[in-house]
Amino acid sequence: MDPSPGVDKDLAARFAAIVGERHCLSGLAQRMTYESDGLMSLRELPDLVVLPASTDEVVRVVRLAREAGMPVVGRGAGSGLSGGSLPVPGCVVVGMARMKRILEVDLENALVRVEPGVTNLEISRRLAPAGYYYAPDPSSQSVCTIGGNVSENSGGAHCLKYGFTAHHVLGVRLVRFDGSAVDVGGPALDAPGYDLLGLIVGSEGMLGIVTEVVLKVLRKPEATRTFFATFPSTDEAGAAVSAIIASGVVPAAIEMMDRLAIEAAKKATGVDWPDVGAALLMDVDGPVAEAEHTSRNAIGLATAAGALEVRVPHDEAERQLMWKGRKSAFAAVGRISPNYVVQDGVIPRSEIARVLREIDRLTREAGLRVANVFHAGDGNLHPLVLYDARIPGQEKRAEELSGEILRMCVRFGGSITGEHGVGAEKSAYMNDMFSPGDLETMDVVRSAFDPERRFNPGKVIPKPRMCGEASGRLSGDAREPAP
Amino acid sequence: MRAAGLRPGAPNDAIAGVVPRQVFTPSSVEEAARFLGEATRAGRAVAFVGGGTELGLGAPPRDLDTVLRTAGLDRILEHSPADQIVVVEAGLPLAALSRALAAHGQRLALDPPLPERATAGGVLAANTFGPLRTRYGGPRDLVIGVTMVRADGTVAKGGGKVVKNVAGFDLPRMLVGSLGTLGLVARVAFRLHPIPEVVETLRVGGLSGEQVLALVRALRERQLEPSSVTALSSGSGWELAVVFEGFSAGVAQQRDRLVEISRGAGTPFDLLPAGDASAFRVRHDRIRTGPPVRLKVSAPPASFAGGAREAVSRLTAALGGADVVWYPTLGLAFAAGEVAEPARLRPAIDEARADLSRIGGSAVVVSVPDALRPGLDPWGEAKAFGLMQALKQRLDPGARLAPGRFVGGL
Repeated sequence: MDPSPGVDKDLAARFAAIVGERHCLSGLAQRMTYESDGLMSLRELPDLVVLPASTDEVVRVVRLAREAGMPVVGRGAGSGLSGGSLPVPGCVVVGMARMKRILEVDLENALVRVEPGVTNLEISRRLAPAGYYYAPDPSSQSVCTIGGNVSENSGGAHCLKYGFTAHHVLGVRLVRFDGSAVDVGGPALDAPGYDLLGLIVGSEGMLGIVTEVVLKVLRKPEATRTFFATFPSTDEAGAAVSAIIASGVVPAAIEMMDRLAIEAAKKATGVDWPDVGAALLMDVDGPVAEAEHTSRNAIGLATAAGALEVRVPHDEAERQLMWKGRKSAFAAVGRISPNYVVQDGVIPRSEIARVLREIDRLTREAGLRVANVFHAGDGNLHPLVLYDARIPGQEKRAEELSGEILRMCVRFGGSITGEHGVGAEKSAYMNDMFSPGDLETMDVVRSAFDPERRFNPGKVIPKPRMCGEASGRLSGDAREPAP
Repeated sequence: MRAAGLRPGAPNDAIAGVVPRQVFTPSSVEEAARFLGEATRAGRAVAFVGGGTELGLGAPPRDLDTVLRTAGLDRILEHSPADQIVVVEAGLPLAALSRALAAHGQRLALDPPLPERATAGGVLAANTFGPLRTRYGGPRDLVIGVTMVRADGTVAKGGGKVVKNVAGFDLPRMLVGSLGTLGLVARVAFRLHPIPEVVETLRVGGLSGEQVLALVRALRERQLEPSSVTALSSGSGWELAVVFEGFSAGVAQQRDRLVEISRGAGTPFDLLPAGDASAFRVRHDRIRTGPPVRLKVSAPPASFAGGAREAVSRLTAALGGADVVWYPTLGLAFAAGEVAEPARLRPAIDEARADLSRIGGSAVVVSVPDALRPGLDPWGEAKAFGLMQALKQRLDPGARLAPGRFVGGL
């Protein structure tokens, strides 16, 4: 018997009637393309993949999925790193690849209205001639979609000054479990009622499918000043970050890389960085006098904290190369290790030096290597745990080490994820950060949006379910036929 | 020893004219949770009061047994200057918080009127803000964590105490503006900002609404980053104040550029001495808090040259010539005045709402004398109301938290 027959022909035909034959993927090979997202270690074959072209088609797909008792998993570019769009057994994946229009650009009100499949960078590209841009800039911005950004509340290097996706979304259209489409928020602030938008952004696809998004866009700052500073170790680099923040500067971005991350970035992009213990890449922006002043101050503080060398790019091309070195760091690690785990945790910024020493100790105990790349300004660590899957036991040790690092982030008062989301990967760690009462409350909120657990079941909120007793209606599984 | 415990309700404990049977002032979050669980199990309706600065919002409660005051929950639990975060109990007044933070050169960039009374939990629950929202956003943009107490007494945390954090559903934002109808905001964690080295205020008077919007557009096009842009009605026109903050070099450059832009537009700004800047702020606060009838209008910023302007005019006319605070970059305005003829108020609000709904905006009653409340819907229609009902029903199934205060009678 076929290990995964998918949906039967009749049902597939009904989905195909909604989205079109070509956009209804039921063959095994086609479905296999969707069995993971950016977190390749987790795989699950969906029963069906559909690529709708409009809100109306999404509505009809969700209604049919409900009738057929199938869970629904939304998907943007599939670049997420926590398994947020990992299929669940028996599900239909709703891919947003065809819904990628920019519907409206309204610079008078500094907003755009877009479909969820448009890429993050495409918006800034479209606005560039007018001198505007969309601020959140995840490293994957050339491929990741706005719908995915909304689901994950994506960040990026520049959210230190400008905030995350949640600060830039003004409204969404949401298709709910019963196939109803509702508008939440919009071009005006402070709509009467609960801040549902706040809940939807970052809900990891568990409250519905977003089919349209209104985003705030910003005028480009007049000037950006960038510098790259090298340090003997992460201790001095961490001290420099603390001193810069304490001076009252709000940098647009401060990124830190350790020795291994620098080595990887050099191999991948050809930047001519020296072999040093740590480096900082910092942007300040704003009116030119402000940017000049803060940049000079920050360079002075970095030097006082023990910088070996400070480089200021001569032109925009050199600046872009510096940023390319940083933004490609995850992929670059592939040059120095056959396999690696990309981790995402947050610590209070003031604890950077202590936490890095602790990571170093754990890494040595595990006999592994960890490259550290992170958004130092907001304490968002991205330890890349390197391993070789061909060596028996290494993969398991890498996963254990990665888990240890997350638990340490929580012990230091931080978070298990700063921007990649909980997804399928980290729900087990939610218990380290939240009490049963916290998690039950989140589940109650989820049940208000999706009482049938139709959307992305099993993500974020850990099993075993400690919730549901309260109302008696929460224990239903979305695979059961809808009432 | 704190003034904890239970006392009988008095007329000045009333919420929109409804006097509670009793007032409870817990001295710890645990005590509040225990009390709330027992009260709702016994079927008693409870409403929460912080500093009481925004009690005019919302409809009168359908039922009210106990007012729970957060005055006894006023501790700063954690301030980490290096991490620029603070965790406080809900009843802490903003002014007390500011004084503690200022010792470390930091501030919470939220500047609503009446900071001596307005509390951390209250500003979150009422979504209260001041001019700094222009640059730093409102409560939803600055809150990073909450501890809430649900109707059944369950204590639940959301968010955390680091600025960047996407673990779990965003309970902090869910509570912003919820007016105590989903749970008690018991503790709040905020992101902080440095106190700027220099603050300069520039002012120009005698502007038309179009001129205000043109200046705002020019500010943006010329890449200035004001921390606030506030217009106050003045005679038949507007008086506009623009505040720049930061390091002295940057502030000086921005000031000079604004002066240049405004000269070109024929509406030159003056640099205000500190005393005059605070007089402007006092006038602002008086409009936001003083007159008995106050309404908040929200619409896309540019529509204040069109549909939103119509709506604001209707409201000011009904109020017999109201004063208006307008935040032109945000698309928010507050109209405040006396009511010459009460019978004109309701139709004016209905018509303003009709104008505003066409452009995606809204008009909300911020304050109104109790005598005018009967038959007045303070909120207007809420989009996605079915979802709001479901949320309320799941978190407060017995409808015991400030029942009837919120949109659509929630």
